[in-house]
Amino acid sequence: MSEEVAANNVDVAENEDVQAEEHRIPQPDKITNKDLMKSWFGWWWANEVPHTFDRMLAPAFCFGLIPTLKKLYKDKTELAKAFQRHLLFFNTQATWGGGTLTGVTISLEEARAKALANGEEPISEDMINNTKVGLMGPLAGIGDSIDSGTVQYIFIAIFLPFAQKGNFMGALLPFLCFAIATFTYGYYFTKMGYSLGRAAAKEIMTGGRMAGIIDGLGVLGLYMMGILAGQYIKIQSYLKFTISKKVFDVQDILNTILPGILPLFAVLMLYWYFQKKGLKITRGLVYLTIALVVLSIFYVI
Amino acid sequence: MHVTLSIWQALLIALWVALVESRILGFSTLTMRFSPLMTGMMVGFIMGDIKQAMIVTAAIQLVYMGFVAPGGALPAEPCIATAIAVPVALLGHMSPQGAIAIAVPVGLLGSYLYQFRFFLNTFALKPMDKYAKEGNARGLGFAIMGIPTLISFALFIPLMFIALYFGAPVISGLVANIEHGTLIHVLNSVGGGLAALGIAVIMQVIGKKQLLPFFFLAYFMSVAFAKLDISMTIYAIFGAIFAILYVTFTSKKSTN
Repeated sequence: MSEEVAANNVDVAENEDVQAEEHRIPQPDKITNKDLMKSWFGWWWANEVPHTFDRMLAPAFCFGLIPTLKKLYKDKTELAKAFQRHLLFFNTQATWGGGTLTGVTISLEEARAKALANGEEPISEDMINNTKVGLMGPLAGIGDSIDSGTVQYIFIAIFLPFAQKGNFMGALLPFLCFAIATFTYGYYFTKMGYSLGRAAAKEIMTGGRMAGIIDGLGVLGLYMMGILAGQYIKIQSYLKFTISKKVFDVQDILNTILPGILPLFAVLMLYWYFQKKGLKITRGLVYLTIALVVLSIFYVI
Repeated sequence: MHVTLSIWQALLIALWVALVESRILGFSTLTMRFSPLMTGMMVGFIMGDIKQAMIVTAAIQLVYMGFVAPGGALPAEPCIATAIAVPVALLGHMSPQGAIAIAVPVGLLGSYLYQFRFFLNTFALKPMDKYAKEGNARGLGFAIMGIPTLISFALFIPLMFIALYFGAPVISGLVANIEHGTLIHVLNSVGGGLAALGIAVIMQVIGKKQLLPFFFLAYFMSVAFAKLDISMTIYAIFGAIFAILYVTFTSKKSTN
């Protein structure tokens, strides 16, 4: 008789334990399209406002996630951990990179929050971070060349004749078209990222197709960077010297060896510096500026 | 004849520049920064001569056509350039070409101001980390949006106001002096070379050394085909095809 009571008491105690644990980490709210829109808008709005060389656009990404994270993590310490992990270095382009990754991250955070609440093994913080970091570079390379390099100038080119005639619509229309187009497809990317993300989370756990996708995006991102490097870095030598009455133009000589060698050299030096010393962007900027100033004062470039 | 902007005109233009350069109007400020058009329109409204302002601005736009900021580094600030050059051109009844001569050096100087903003924003990081650690969403939101915006306004409004209200005649004189000198050569060279930074940053962030041949392939394609004037869309299609081929062939290998 007394044994039964004791056993019942143990059962009750166990039940209380389970309840206490459930109480400690409450179930997350369901993520709706409205939440995705809120986060996309937050990122879109904050985008370049808190830009620094230390963290780049991480704070803006975190700003977009604030309302969603509040719905997912009712527990204060988990919420604080989520805020902190999204303030780590992050840099990408707004729509292709930021839109997609906002969606992917929300789906990963949702899976993590649910697992925590159910007492299952959650997706690790590292995995969330690695997914972001793995995708941000390739998507930035794609987005920079498409949004600011192509979409923007298509609209400007279409409406520039208005401006040349003195009509202010030549300014207003390209701006409106660019704003509406990028906001719309950025939101589409967010939704796509969200629905992909849940599958992607599983795939990353099992090491599946996702690695191939990241590689493919890396190829495209690096390829677009190569094109931009060739088209937008303007470094050439103005050095000329005379040997026995013959004028040598250094740039002409360089062109016969390898056209475009100087811009490539600049990029590779910086890349090599980052490989050696880690991503110290401010220092890279300072060294590059000093080198360019010194060389150009003496008209070497 | 000495014509200047009124205090209100100078202040309104300065405010507009601060709105654009702080990026507080969202991602679309990208095109307000990269393109002189919207700034030229606002200057036209403020100065009451939209038609002439747009004609001058369209000429400046041609200089900045195709400007992009790979990895976030723009070699010049067309918005700042236009906010100075268009008022100076309108007040001095200058040709669009004269306005371009002012816009280009001012734009180069402006890009340093924008880089300086990144540096000043660092001060917002400490409160950000503090509020994040506390799980304080409201405080975090303010540290991310409020502090950098205040920093930008404190940086751009006084500088632009002084330049416009006191400096418009000085600027055109100054620019005429440096137009062919070493200073403008240095500014041009630095502006032309800075794009290397953003590109190297993205290469490092992508972080896959075995994929670097695709960077070199693209680089030498764009150098070799420069005269063909191939559009970015065509290059993007090439890139996508290379990416698909790479993934197809490497994934086949791993299954065998």
